[in-house]
Amino acid sequence: MQHFSRWKYYHPYISPFDPCPPIKVKAYSTPPHLYMGFQPEGLQQYQLREALYAGTLWPALYDPYEGIQHKEKREG
Amino acid sequence: MAQKQLPQEFYQLLEELQAVDFALVDLTLYLDTHPTDAEAINQFNQLSYQSRTLRNKVEQIYGPLQQYGKSYSGYPWDWNDAPWPWQI
Repeated sequence: MQHFSRWKYYHPYISPFDPCPPIKVKAYSTPPHLYMGFQPEGLQQYQLREALYAGTLWPALYDPYEGIQHKEKREG
Repeated sequence: MAQKQLPQEFYQLLEELQAVDFALVDLTLYLDTHPTDAEAINQFNQLSYQSRTLRNKVEQIYGPLQQYGKSYSGYPWDWNDAPWPWQI
């Protein structure tokens, strides 16, 4: 059983005639609400000012939505 | 076209107002699907009151934020005075 990650990966078909160096693994990030089901009542909330800058009132639904390059830079 | 100089406290008030109004947006969407969450409705109503109080304070410094009679005007008509919202 793998550690759960909101990042999903897939291996695209690589054509032998690909004019560019192939990207063998493609990655995309998925938003947190997909794994929540129906939002429960009384979730912990951000302070109002934090919420404005986070783009959501609930930490459980916060998604930085960073690109894969950003993620790789952060995690090496 | 008078040029208003906005004091420092205006920006603090505006940020507070934006934060409250954002929370109201999120709570509105939440309550659409959770119509019986009494606690959230309480919070919504409190924030609604806060928003109105803050808006009055901001408008006393800045001028009308809303058109068509939802805000008071000074004299002369100051709806179009600079800075406009995106110039603040």
